[in-house]
Amino acid sequence: MDFAPAEAGRGRRRRGGSQLATAPEPALIPLKVLVAGGFAVGKTTFVGSLSEIPPVTTEQEMTALSIGVDDTSAVPDKRTTTVAMDFGRITVDSSLILYLFGTPGQNRFWFMWDELARGAVGAVVLVDLRRVDDCFPAIDYFENRRLPFVLAVNQFPGTPEFADDAVREALVLPADTPVTRMDAREPRSSLTTLVALVEHALMRTPVG
Amino acid sequence: MTTGDSYGARSGGRVVPAYAFTAGRTRSAGQSQDMPIEALVTATELAGRHSSSLDMEYRSIVELGCQPVSVVEIGAALRVPVGVARVLVSDLANAGYLKVHLPQSDDTDGRPGSEILGRLLDGLRAR
Repeated sequence: MDFAPAEAGRGRRRRGGSQLATAPEPALIPLKVLVAGGFAVGKTTFVGSLSEIPPVTTEQEMTALSIGVDDTSAVPDKRTTTVAMDFGRITVDSSLILYLFGTPGQNRFWFMWDELARGAVGAVVLVDLRRVDDCFPAIDYFENRRLPFVLAVNQFPGTPEFADDAVREALVLPADTPVTRMDAREPRSSLTTLVALVEHALMRTPVG
Repeated sequence: MTTGDSYGARSGGRVVPAYAFTAGRTRSAGQSQDMPIEALVTATELAGRHSSSLDMEYRSIVELGCQPVSVVEIGAALRVPVGVARVLVSDLANAGYLKVHLPQSDDTDGRPGSEILGRLLDGLRAR
């Protein structure tokens, strides 16, 4: 298969004699961010407010492999199943394209996150402070996988006012976990949260 | 489900012209499994010259690949599950019609390195 080099820092090299004369292009690099949280917390809205394409709901198949390595007690008789998943796209520059994946809200599908989480920049965990328990599975998952994440408090009407530290304490979050207050319907607000995630991910990545 | 099953079920067999395959090169389920759903593809020069001979589904993918497009977007555009799109893309890549651009990483977790994250941050802040 004609894969482009996967190692960092190496430019795309064209193969084939007739193509050698063309100017070198920057390597095309896909990136992804996961958007997680409880049911109806605003994941699709968040993806839609940032995406340059209308948010798409697609079907993701769980592979036999991912079923084999994870707890399958929730789907004992199925070798495969499909679940709905939202995604959006941001063309960052001429070579970087960022995909946003809204993870399935139903907890019984958490095991399909493994494939989505592999290689991700990080995750935005949306929380509705009126029902914080809903985001625990997502937080547990990303902490266990050591995937950088930010907690984004989606400010629904009637959201109680708590200081960031109180939110971290209630959710047992490390002190350096960014907490943002945002409105998933507002593109600027969602972008600020996304920037906070990338800053956090960069801080946790050794310079190399 | 194996990828071979999904391919056969959808198309009833090979639809890429036989001349597009070289002896000994076959589809590999292992390779297609390794392709993450955000992997980007672009159409190659070969696709520009010969895509008219392709089956419609393959031709649609090649046309989408005139601009960088991901496996998950292809699945959505064709209204097929991502796993099926992955196999079709693998077929076309094996036949030389598509170039696949995988995520880049310099650690074993597969996460992007600091240089790429820095560029991502600059790009997002500039929006």
